[in-house]
Amino acid sequence: MSFIPGLGIVKGMALTLRRFFEPKATIKYPEEQPDQPPKFRGRLQLLYDEWGTLKCETCFQCAQACPIECIDMGGVDTKGRFHVHWGPPETYGERRDESALRRSGRTVPDRAYDHFEPIDLVAVDAILDEHDHDPKRMLQILEGVQGAYGYLPVAAIKRISFKTGAWYALIFGTASYYSHLRFERPADAVQVAAVDQHRPSEEAYVARLDAALEGSRRRRRKVH
Amino acid sequence: MTAITRTWQRLTIPGRVLLALLVVGALLTAGLALLIVFSDELLAIVEANLPIVRFVVAATAILLMTIPTAFVIIYMEMKGIALMNLRIGPDRVGPFGSLLSVVHGLKVLMKEDFTPTGADATVFTWAPVVVYLASVMSLLVIPFAPGLFGQDMNIALLYFFAVGGLTVVGLLMAGWSSFNKYSLLGGLRSAAQVISYEIPLTLSVVGLLILAGTMSLNQLVLNQSGWFTNWYVFQQPLGALIFFIAATAEANRTPFDLTEADSEIVAGFATEYSGMRFGFFFFAEYVNVFIIAALTVTLFFGGWNSPFPMPDIHLALDPGSLGIGLLIVIALVPLLGTLLFAAPFWLLRSSMPTWQALVLGFVVFNIVAVTAVLGWAFISFDWVAGLIWFMAKTYGFVFVFVWMRGTLPRVRIDQLMGFAWKWMLPASLLNLFVTAAAVIVVDALRGGR
Repeated sequence: MSFIPGLGIVKGMALTLRRFFEPKATIKYPEEQPDQPPKFRGRLQLLYDEWGTLKCETCFQCAQACPIECIDMGGVDTKGRFHVHWGPPETYGERRDESALRRSGRTVPDRAYDHFEPIDLVAVDAILDEHDHDPKRMLQILEGVQGAYGYLPVAAIKRISFKTGAWYALIFGTASYYSHLRFERPADAVQVAAVDQHRPSEEAYVARLDAALEGSRRRRRKVH
Repeated sequence: MTAITRTWQRLTIPGRVLLALLVVGALLTAGLALLIVFSDELLAIVEANLPIVRFVVAATAILLMTIPTAFVIIYMEMKGIALMNLRIGPDRVGPFGSLLSVVHGLKVLMKEDFTPTGADATVFTWAPVVVYLASVMSLLVIPFAPGLFGQDMNIALLYFFAVGGLTVVGLLMAGWSSFNKYSLLGGLRSAAQVISYEIPLTLSVVGLLILAGTMSLNQLVLNQSGWFTNWYVFQQPLGALIFFIAATAEANRTPFDLTEADSEIVAGFATEYSGMRFGFFFFAEYVNVFIIAALTVTLFFGGWNSPFPMPDIHLALDPGSLGIGLLIVIALVPLLGTLLFAAPFWLLRSSMPTWQALVLGFVVFNIVAVTAVLGWAFISFDWVAGLIWFMAKTYGFVFVFVWMRGTLPRVRIDQLMGFAWKWMLPASLLNLFVTAAAVIVVDALRGGR
């Protein structure tokens, strides 16, 4: 545009001179920490607890939150019963194996569906009707189902998924997040008593703990 | 001999240091005694060979001066370009990282000094010396302050260009003796560049010489005294511009640093160099930056003259008149000053430990004292004022070079040569003819009146 020779040089020099006085972008790392977003979790990695069990609860929150969908999850839940997926099905090995078996003409043995008992779905449908098949009221639906059956059967979750349109993995994630929702029948009183017989009583345990933590005031205050 | 070796080995390390110091002290004492005994004869010899002694002293002083100068410019370059890139730059070694260039120097010293097989070892070794010496020797004629210059020659400018031209020889020596075709190509390339730009560089100054009628740099500076409108840049703007651009190319600075375009080619003529021999090339480059900045200031920006006539202030302050009091002042003032400047920190900041307040007070006192002494020297001594003005202007231009390096992209070799021959040379010739014609016209007009 301009035909003044050297004007570009002057503009460039002015730019660098302005940069010279601007605040700097460097962060002197060990001394200064960069500002982190509050939900920053560092590198994504599956951790094991001290008993060697995966800490991941398969709650799918990471996969749901991932804005570019680079996280996909697949596998068996913590008790080895259900297949849960997040992401395209073709990425999962078990699914591929299954289809290969199916193509070979044999039935597909899958231990994950051993606990998938058929149930009477009338109660589930009634609860869904009551909540207008609204996936936003998933917690109430799940609580209702648990109230009707005593636990959340796989067939019920599949039904909820089919009716409301919510993904199975999402429902499973919601259900596994709340500690009062369970995926198996509650242990009956006899079983509880049998377990209690083998277990030292709570008071004896606390007393031993107190003795071991003698001198720790905080602990004592909490117990008594 | 064995007895001496054994005794030496039995000594502890402090003992060895002490013994070495004793020997040095004895030698120095003997030398001093000899000096005192033969003082008359020595003085006679010095007086008889005063120009030679002066030259040796000046050359040594200039040689010693180049090293801290190069360090400062290297630091300026690292820090300046970093700041322009929105980085912080060196900040670990020394205050604000200012000792990093010294660390670079030590690193270069400690590296292996390698000579490749097949290289012409003699020429290979002497090439950096020639390059460095050319830089240092051309610094000899630059007037730093009234009365402060290496040599006052009536052909100083000619000498400057002649000695500065020696750099090409050094570069060609380095390129040829490395026994590496890329080095040779790099050397030829840089020689082509430097020789091409030498022509507009020299021609751009000729117009100035017609105006001034002298080649003595001292006289040129004296011609520009008074207000800054007397500076030659206002009479020779085109000449100053051409000189500045050509000098940039001559010193192999961005945007004309094709000889060792550090981000593109290996290292040009310096490919096979390592250790301190490479360090000399490196140093010479930065000394060259100082030199061209200094010469630009000397020729076009008034040298050591202040931009406006300084008010004549005389301070009736003679430190010698205090007598023994001077000694007491020297002993007491630092102590009292430290306490004085530490007091406000100590009183106002209860969280600050006493020693921190004392350290702060000492630092503040030093700053104030150095400022006061410099101010007193600035007012009282012409040469201090001149030196400060000269250095301020010179480092201003050094900053411009750094600034240009942080801004401008490198030109292509054909653009470089085309610019030299198609634009710079005609422009410098035009400048020369116009100046000559103007001088004739003005002379005729004045004669006519």
